[in-house]
Amino acid sequence: MYADFDLLIPEGLNQALGMIAKSKADTDIAPLGGGTNLVVEMRARGKAAATLLSVGQIADLRGIEIADGRVTMGAATTVSDILRHPRMPDVGSALFESAGVFAGQMVRNTATVAGNICCGSPAADLVPPLLALGASVTLQSQRGERTVPLDKYFTGYKTSVRKPDELLTAISWPVPAGKSASRFYKLGRRKGDAITMVGVSVFIEMAGGVCTTVRIALGAVGPCVMRAGKAEAVLLGKAPTAELIEKAASVAEGECAPIDDIRASGAYRKQQVQVLVRRLLNQTIESLS
Amino acid sequence: MNKLDSAATGEHNVNFRQIGKARTRTDSPGKVFGKTPYAGDYVMPDMLHARVLRAKVPSARMTRLDVSKARALPGVAAVLTFKDLKIGTVATDIPGQTGFKRRATDQQILVDELVRYQGEPIAIVAAETVEIAQHALSLIEVDLEPVPGVYNVFDAQKPDAPKVFGTDNLVASYKVRKGDVEVGFAAADVIVENTFTTQYIEHAFLEPEVGLGWEDEQGVINIRSSTQAVETFRYIADAMGLPHSKVRIRGALVGGGFGGKCDVTVELYIALLTKATGRPVRLGYSREDSFYGHGKRHPFIINHKTGFTRDGKITASKIDITSESGPYAFMSPYVLMYATEAGPGPYLVDHVHIDSRSIATNNMYTSAFRGFGATQACIAYEQQMDEAAKVLGIDRIELRRRNLLKTGDAIATGFKVQSAVWTEECMDRAMAALGEKPKDKGAIRYGHGLAAYQQGYGRMIWLHDTAEGWVGVEMDGTVLVRSGMTDIGAGQTSSLAQIAGELLGIDMMDITVYNSDSSTTPLAGTSSASRGLYMSGNAVRLAAEAVRDRLAARAAKHFGSTADDVDFANAQVFLKSDPRQTMPFKELVAVCASEGIHRAELAIFRAPFGDWIDPETGQGQVHPDYTYGAHAVQVAVDTETGEVTILKSIGAHDIGQAVNMAAVEGQIEGGVAQGHGYALSEELIYKDGYLVTPSLSEYLCPTSMDSPRIECIVLESRSGLGPFGAKGIGEPGHTPAAPAVANAVADAIGTRVFDFPLTPEKIANAVRKARKAG
Repeated sequence: MYADFDLLIPEGLNQALGMIAKSKADTDIAPLGGGTNLVVEMRARGKAAATLLSVGQIADLRGIEIADGRVTMGAATTVSDILRHPRMPDVGSALFESAGVFAGQMVRNTATVAGNICCGSPAADLVPPLLALGASVTLQSQRGERTVPLDKYFTGYKTSVRKPDELLTAISWPVPAGKSASRFYKLGRRKGDAITMVGVSVFIEMAGGVCTTVRIALGAVGPCVMRAGKAEAVLLGKAPTAELIEKAASVAEGECAPIDDIRASGAYRKQQVQVLVRRLLNQTIESLS
Repeated sequence: MNKLDSAATGEHNVNFRQIGKARTRTDSPGKVFGKTPYAGDYVMPDMLHARVLRAKVPSARMTRLDVSKARALPGVAAVLTFKDLKIGTVATDIPGQTGFKRRATDQQILVDELVRYQGEPIAIVAAETVEIAQHALSLIEVDLEPVPGVYNVFDAQKPDAPKVFGTDNLVASYKVRKGDVEVGFAAADVIVENTFTTQYIEHAFLEPEVGLGWEDEQGVINIRSSTQAVETFRYIADAMGLPHSKVRIRGALVGGGFGGKCDVTVELYIALLTKATGRPVRLGYSREDSFYGHGKRHPFIINHKTGFTRDGKITASKIDITSESGPYAFMSPYVLMYATEAGPGPYLVDHVHIDSRSIATNNMYTSAFRGFGATQACIAYEQQMDEAAKVLGIDRIELRRRNLLKTGDAIATGFKVQSAVWTEECMDRAMAALGEKPKDKGAIRYGHGLAAYQQGYGRMIWLHDTAEGWVGVEMDGTVLVRSGMTDIGAGQTSSLAQIAGELLGIDMMDITVYNSDSSTTPLAGTSSASRGLYMSGNAVRLAAEAVRDRLAARAAKHFGSTADDVDFANAQVFLKSDPRQTMPFKELVAVCASEGIHRAELAIFRAPFGDWIDPETGQGQVHPDYTYGAHAVQVAVDTETGEVTILKSIGAHDIGQAVNMAAVEGQIEGGVAQGHGYALSEELIYKDGYLVTPSLSEYLCPTSMDSPRIECIVLESRSGLGPFGAKGIGEPGHTPAAPAVANAVADAIGTRVFDFPLTPEKIANAVRKARKAG
């Protein structure tokens, strides 16, 4: 059974910011996007914030723009919007791959990008590719607006730097330049509507035969989605040999700290980080050569 | 050549006009256009809403129960606890048209002292709204003092184990002794021994349990519910101390059952609250209620020790079977019987020794689930055949071929099957359809797997099963069928229309079927045990034949011919010898009406009746007949991640005679998808009695993304006991699907995971372990 809550449906962003301005804690007002995670949680736990602020229907917050060397998505952009955007395979191939294996069709049609980030789940499928792409998020409140790199956004399990009166309004990343590629892989217990056991995304930019940018992001293997910084360092500035890729994969395995749960053991998740990081690095580098 | 085997060559060229065709079902238009009401769609004026309070712990003593605050809540009409019950228990035995004395294994309706499983009902509430009823539950004060429980079948069999059931936690046990197994093992060149385990699984029907009850002007408690068995009215009446005639169950089209709606579910709570309040009461389970509220599929542990000669002939089969019953018996004894009977599989074995037992624990209780124990048996014997083939160095299909039962052979219980046994044909057709295995690519390995099976259809013969059916012709020539059979989505009522239509020459879509009303439609027993078409199809056939005979006799008088020469088709009556001589069916009916010729018939079909098998040897007849077939699967396995992709899945079954080919394929496809989930992803995990996978986000049924196109190869030996030679297919389509997947995965990775389900983690670990072992 659902918990009791009030629902606010603002007409636009300004009204929404006004409504959330009084919020002092996450339990006061929770932003509601597509509801595909929040509503399920409310049903499973019987707990909800006192008020839900519906932002998923604000038209200004929905859409994908590519301008001035950046890709910018409004918070209410749905997962299906990502799949429908004709340039997404070029400007965010890992995100495009992730959107394609995100839950199932019905969930993709209503789940929003900001919702997937703000739910704070370590298994959120859009977060590893966004981290790999070097994304930042825009936080807005009546006090002003700030931009936070996504890899500084999460502070722990379901916690973040977002203040109770702030809304996450946009996500953006630089259009990949030069010789670069990105990949994502979701390891689940089944192929549709699965919660991820391990999610891995990598982004590599190469110049002169060496890796000039390396980002490796790991999902569902720690309290929040994380970058594997030490593994990235193994390849940065180097020519990616088979040995180095193997080493980076092993280092990534060592960097994560997954738990045992009903979907998989921590030991299996660690193994799979190694398998998938190696695999995705190989695939990415192969696609660049 | 055996007569039954000759049908394979197509000698029996029977011409049906409707039977056997792939027809749109009579229930389809209503479903497609949204006109079909399901049990949950019914509402009544002044209706109350019910909720059930369940124990949060698996094993406890209730030391205090105070419902005064809940009763005082405005809007609450009734709160019932064990103290309000006239009779505290309800039967958990097989409901139906069975003339046997039921077992004394009743379940408490509401907890009076001991909680034996997590979710056991403690109180029921009826209120003006669902929200008030839910609020009332939170006001009920319960003190539950933990009592040591037992959570696995090994611990439960220890002498000092907490007693959940009887004096020793033994719910049932059986033996089969055929030949002398020691002689058989002495003759063996190779002995192969393995243990296979299966998990708790959930029916996960789309429509959770729901019903609406009211008391009518005759004082009859009416309950409209989603059920596979309207005959539960007897158990409900017994549990309330009412005459059987004062409880009436009226079904609706059902959104899936799979065995999970054979037991009493919401009906008794509805009846009690209706009686207590004098008002209509609706109770609809949420998905979570459904997870906690009905019995699951039994986990099994099955050990096979099989002797083979060097050339692959089975010399002896020793099988040890343990199933987990949970705290109440429900169908566990019968499910165990099926597993025991099916133990050695569709193979001819001279020396058989089987011991089986069902053990009580404080995990969730278990009951009927499609395949009813024969499925778990198949998972074991078919994996064992593949393991044996590997040890013997003989091709897996060839090893089976050398041991398959043939038409006329006796099965493990000594019973000689009277119908065709076409397992080999099915096996070969399924494997041929699988084609070539793709070449391995990187970490991806491809595998082929097959499972053959034997599955009884109809009830065990000592249950003395019967079904009634009624067919009548209205004065304008339209046809009605009445049958108590429930329609659980497999096309049950449509098949009855097709059968009556075939015999009376009326198109099935023009026939009206009334069904699943325990007071006004002739009782037909449950839609379970692959018995719906077999039993009710025969009852309706008999009724339609009787009507047809009387009409034909009158038509013969009209034509000046013999009744044998009269035929019925396209709403016309005509002479086979001279089809130009016709009369409209409605004219014949009008003549019969004016002359008082009876245009209706109530028929009863009796399955073969018999006694229990010998308790010491397990010899005798268990089922009326059996369905045989095979399922083949092609998989791709990622040997690093352990992920499995099912690429091809082909079911080949001799179903005797299809009535509606489209419905047959639907049954096979649905059963196979369920089998895929059983093998790969579905598992109810109980941790010390607590369910840790209580929703569909943790309990993983296959999605459309996980399901390949399923191919059906349907053979028709016309040798079954059902109408026109049909055999049952509701369960058989499902039975071999899971072990076929397991065998394909083992083929792909070169090693085996013996413990269902085959999760990516178990597969990846098995591969790593095998590689380490070199």
